[in-house]
Amino acid sequence: MPNHDLSPDRNGVRFFGTLSAAVTHDMKNFLAIINENAGLLGDLAGRARNGPVPIDPQKAALISEKIRKQVNRADGMIKQFNRFSHSMDHAQEAVDMEEMVHLVAGLSERIIRHHEVFLTVTAASVPCRIQAHRFDLLHLIFRAFEMVCEILDNAPEDTRKEVTVNFGSDPMGPEICFMYDTDTGWDTLFDDPKDRALLDRVNMHVKKAGTGSGFCLCKTFKKQ
Amino acid sequence: MGPRILLVDDEQEFVQTLAERLQMRDMETSAVFDGPAALAQVQSHPPQILIVDLKMPGMDGIQILKQVKQTHPGIQIIILTGHGSEQDKILCMHLGAFAYFQKPVDIDRLITAIRQGYETILSNEQKTAPCDRYPETGSWQP
Repeated sequence: MPNHDLSPDRNGVRFFGTLSAAVTHDMKNFLAIINENAGLLGDLAGRARNGPVPIDPQKAALISEKIRKQVNRADGMIKQFNRFSHSMDHAQEAVDMEEMVHLVAGLSERIIRHHEVFLTVTAASVPCRIQAHRFDLLHLIFRAFEMVCEILDNAPEDTRKEVTVNFGSDPMGPEICFMYDTDTGWDTLFDDPKDRALLDRVNMHVKKAGTGSGFCLCKTFKKQ
Repeated sequence: MGPRILLVDDEQEFVQTLAERLQMRDMETSAVFDGPAALAQVQSHPPQILIVDLKMPGMDGIQILKQVKQTHPGIQIIILTGHGSEQDKILCMHLGAFAYFQKPVDIDRLITAIRQGYETILSNEQKTAPCDRYPETGSWQP
């Protein structure tokens, strides 16, 4: 591990804990499905051994396929979690924002689903990079997801609980936009001092989206 | 036939497979994937045993536990969760859950709890319905 002082603050530890809890919950569910399917195979084998009902090869193949699917899901989740865990090893560097959005979206899928929010991430049309610490950028994106979920939880009942994330088209002024179906609540976003400090660390600011409802996290250009 | 069981979990593949395993053990089992569907089924076709996950989108397991215990206190509720804490366990037992398990669960332990819950129901039914055995006129007929 490189020797940089990249220790997260208490808020960063809380973020790490929240995502770890969501991931371990998912892992428990994958294991539970594998456990039940392995158990079902055992039940069928026991029935075949003790009586005249042979194991249906198609049924056995279906169960095997279900187990394989869950192993793949778990493997994908562990790979993502491993990338996230190693995000603290990196010094400030050029970070691909699209890649980071996909990583946070994948790891926090359970949390977002818990709010009954449907998330779509559209592909960036140009490379969307910013000089930042990976962990801080991941934290900032996660805070944005948390805030959007909270806004949609408190929005009028007829509001569609859908969020689309898209990226700016100017490679010199990278931005991540979170678009949704209500104008309420945007003006108090990132008001908390901890969130403002996080924005500063990533060298970004928040602005209202130019078209539609939502907000964008944009690179801040410091005056010389 | 064994007890009538309703499984509630948003992990559809999990509940469907567990339901199949319980059915193979002669337990009448059905599954739903969210809280509102569970409450609707409790109203229309009350189960004797309800096995419910804690963390689900919309209505969570604690809300289901509270509501079912208010409307159908006789239903025995087993919590089967992927991420419950010790505090969750204490709360659930305080709210009237019969048993609490973490996923993945050993099927034999789950079945033992189901049978114990079912025996409790049968025992309660015997305690609360003695009038059938004591006709208004005449002597007691065992």
